[in-house]
Amino acid sequence: MSDNDAMGANLQQPNPVPITVIGGYLGAGKTTLINRLLAQPTMPAGTAVLVNDFGDINIDAALIKSASPDGQVIGLSNGCICCSISDDLSKALDQLSNLPLQRVIMETSGVAEPARVWQHCHYPGFTPQALIVVVDAENFRSQSKDKYVGQLVNAQVDQADLLIVSKMDHNPAFQLRRLTAQLTTTDPSLLATVLGWTRRHPLTATLSTTKTASFAARTWYQQQALSLEELYALLDRQAEGVYRIKGWVEITAGIMQVDRVGERLTLKPMEDRPVPAQLGLVFICST
Amino acid sequence: MLTLFKARSVITMNPSMPRASAVLVRDGIILEVGEAENMQPWLQGQQYQIDEQFAEQIICPGFIDPHLHPSMAAVLLPMEFVTAMRWKLPWGEIEPVTDAKTFDQRMQELHASKPAHEPLFIWGYHELWHGEMNKARINAVSEQRPIVVWHRSFHELYMNDATMRMAGIDPAQIKPGMQIDIDNGHFFEVGLGFAINRLNPWILAPERYAEGLQRLKQVVHHGGHTSIGDLATGLFNFDTEAKALAEQLEGDDVPFRTRLVVHGTRLTQGGRKPQEGPELAAALMARNSHRLHFGKHIKLFCDGAFCSQLAQLQEPGYIDGHHGEWLAAPEELERHIRAYWHAGYQIHVHVTGDLGVELTLDILQRMQDEKPRFNHGFTLEHFGFSTPEQIRRIAALGAQVSANVYYLHELSDSYASAGIGYERASQMARLGSCFAAGINTTVHSDFTMAPAEPLNSMWVAVNRENHVGHVMGAAERLTQQQALQAITINAAHAIGMADITGSLRAGKKADFTVLAEDPLTCDPMALRDLDVVATVFEGKVFPVK
Ligand SMILES: [Zn+2]
Ligand SMILES: [Zn+2]
Repeated sequence: MSDNDAMGANLQQPNPVPITVIGGYLGAGKTTLINRLLAQPTMPAGTAVLVNDFGDINIDAALIKSASPDGQVIGLSNGCICCSISDDLSKALDQLSNLPLQRVIMETSGVAEPARVWQHCHYPGFTPQALIVVVDAENFRSQSKDKYVGQLVNAQVDQADLLIVSKMDHNPAFQLRRLTAQLTTTDPSLLATVLGWTRRHPLTATLSTTKTASFAARTWYQQQALSLEELYALLDRQAEGVYRIKGWVEITAGIMQVDRVGERLTLKPMEDRPVPAQLGLVFICST
Repeated sequence: MLTLFKARSVITMNPSMPRASAVLVRDGIILEVGEAENMQPWLQGQQYQIDEQFAEQIICPGFIDPHLHPSMAAVLLPMEFVTAMRWKLPWGEIEPVTDAKTFDQRMQELHASKPAHEPLFIWGYHELWHGEMNKARINAVSEQRPIVVWHRSFHELYMNDATMRMAGIDPAQIKPGMQIDIDNGHFFEVGLGFAINRLNPWILAPERYAEGLQRLKQVVHHGGHTSIGDLATGLFNFDTEAKALAEQLEGDDVPFRTRLVVHGTRLTQGGRKPQEGPELAAALMARNSHRLHFGKHIKLFCDGAFCSQLAQLQEPGYIDGHHGEWLAAPEELERHIRAYWHAGYQIHVHVTGDLGVELTLDILQRMQDEKPRFNHGFTLEHFGFSTPEQIRRIAALGAQVSANVYYLHELSDSYASAGIGYERASQMARLGSCFAAGINTTVHSDFTMAPAEPLNSMWVAVNRENHVGHVMGAAERLTQQQALQAITINAAHAIGMADITGSLRAGKKADFTVLAEDPLTCDPMALRDLDVVATVFEGKVFPVK
């Protein structure tokens, strides 16, 4: 019996895309973990990642390892008129639902209660798979007693299906006295575990021991238009160790879709479609 | 050409000469306020006209709402209002609808009044008054016409089958566990986002949005404003909003100016560091036009929505034990505040609960320790809950307060019984203490959260009467003089425009709000019903009726 059946999925419809939620307080290491996941060569094709923009306020859909997103439509903010934080999520999910995806990895805002985000993942076409919370071994103790965020960081830990303890090297004696399954960021099975984790399913079912090379992804955000020469210079300057560059860049002639695999560069003008919400390039490099 | 405006009385808000009977204006600028017989030196050898149309009326400084949201209003105003509270709108006063039967009647009437098949959007439903809403109830009004009923809080909506067909929402897609109750046509939280994304072609169609801004223009005019603050430009999408504002809120027929305060975290969204923010914000000033001004102002966010009980509270918190939420991690908020503080900006922080106020003041204290600043204008926006000790700190740190005082009217009753208890509910919007402490204090509507009627805000601040008629926190009532100050000169200070408007004196813009009765001597309970006869924006008369 799979989770999908438990969700009452209609067999006539394609299976909902599972979402792995990565939560945890600001600075816990969510982005680091996601970058490590992205660099996994065993990462299944058709994985989309929603990264939270600088850790608070909103989720900014940066799609990595997936087809190009259809452009942004302006939408109403969900929530209080001038305080809304969660509407960007529905926009991002609706964009993703047009793509042939296998899974979504979603980084929450550092101040999100993961359980609330879990609720939000029950979205047409999607289903939440696991709620993983990263805990900062160095700062958790003081944060959990903090006047402003103590209640929040404790709630984050309480709500997790799987806890990942980061920065153990800074505090080797750190222990979280919780019954929730825990791994550290140095655990060799970390990435496979995170990807395979499903709420209520045993850890052993998803372990993989494949030894893999290491990769990382880096993003450059464009702030002003470039000339074609400047674009070439930028691509060349980044060549060290980079095996893949993908993104959208505005040059004098218009917005170009950039795709470089090894030495092969494709530049294609974007025609007749909404402009991506954010222009820039993602560099995937071996480390 | 000079114009000499005469009035029954001129309220100047200039403490050196509180009252006058005439204002002399040239090219939109006040030459002199006082008595007509003293103005002869200006008039000799000049062409001038005496304008006596306000001879029986009261000229006040032009009203200012220092915090509202034109973009949000543009979405809401094309909808039909059916609300439990009264709304005075230029195209008609919305009479309160306080029971389920009348709500259904109003839906029927609206349905009957519209051309067939035009979708009908209704805003203002609230279960407390209007009973349980569901799809069947809306289907009973019409099975053919798409009808959407929006909750007053904007956080949820209901739709009938015709709307689902129109928006392409397939009930088979919706599974249990989603934030959608498809049988009842009810969409909330992220389910609301799902619905909105599909309704966008209707609610955000460019011509509808433009119509919404035109309606906003009327609302602002009818409320008697001559200046407003857009306190989060870029709420939805910066470029779309900026373009629409430039098209609709600039031009000779627009009787007010707008201070645009950009949404700080949207500005640096996409991986930019907070330290890049001040330069990005400064670049926006190149877009300034006669009526639309960016300035060295920035909007940041601390804790959650007041009306959703997500304000962060100090002990003893909420009665049911739930917690509020942060809109940014405290460290992130501090990083942003630091970037703008050091760059010399006036910072506006959305803050609703007393724990939020505490955090904001802790950060402000650190900024003052790092780089002391005077006259910095740091503003606490909304200011729902606070403590007397915080009032003292606000004053000591040189900050100011812009309060949504309407919360006290609309929510203090329900917050007393089902939120935080009577003591704290009655002390929302602790405005009397702010004045006593010498804090520059203003009030706002946060429109569309509250009616954009400064006289209504003044009425609440002076009477502190909630919607069931109880006086809440009588000791915090403002005098009429203080409340008028709040919606004029103090508001001008809050949006950084006190050098040009907010009071009537030689050298300022000739911005007036003309009232039929005197707001300083009238019965305080009559304040919100005073007639706004006209506004004058930079010397030009814009009649209201
Ligand atoms: Zn707000
Ligand atoms: Zn606001």
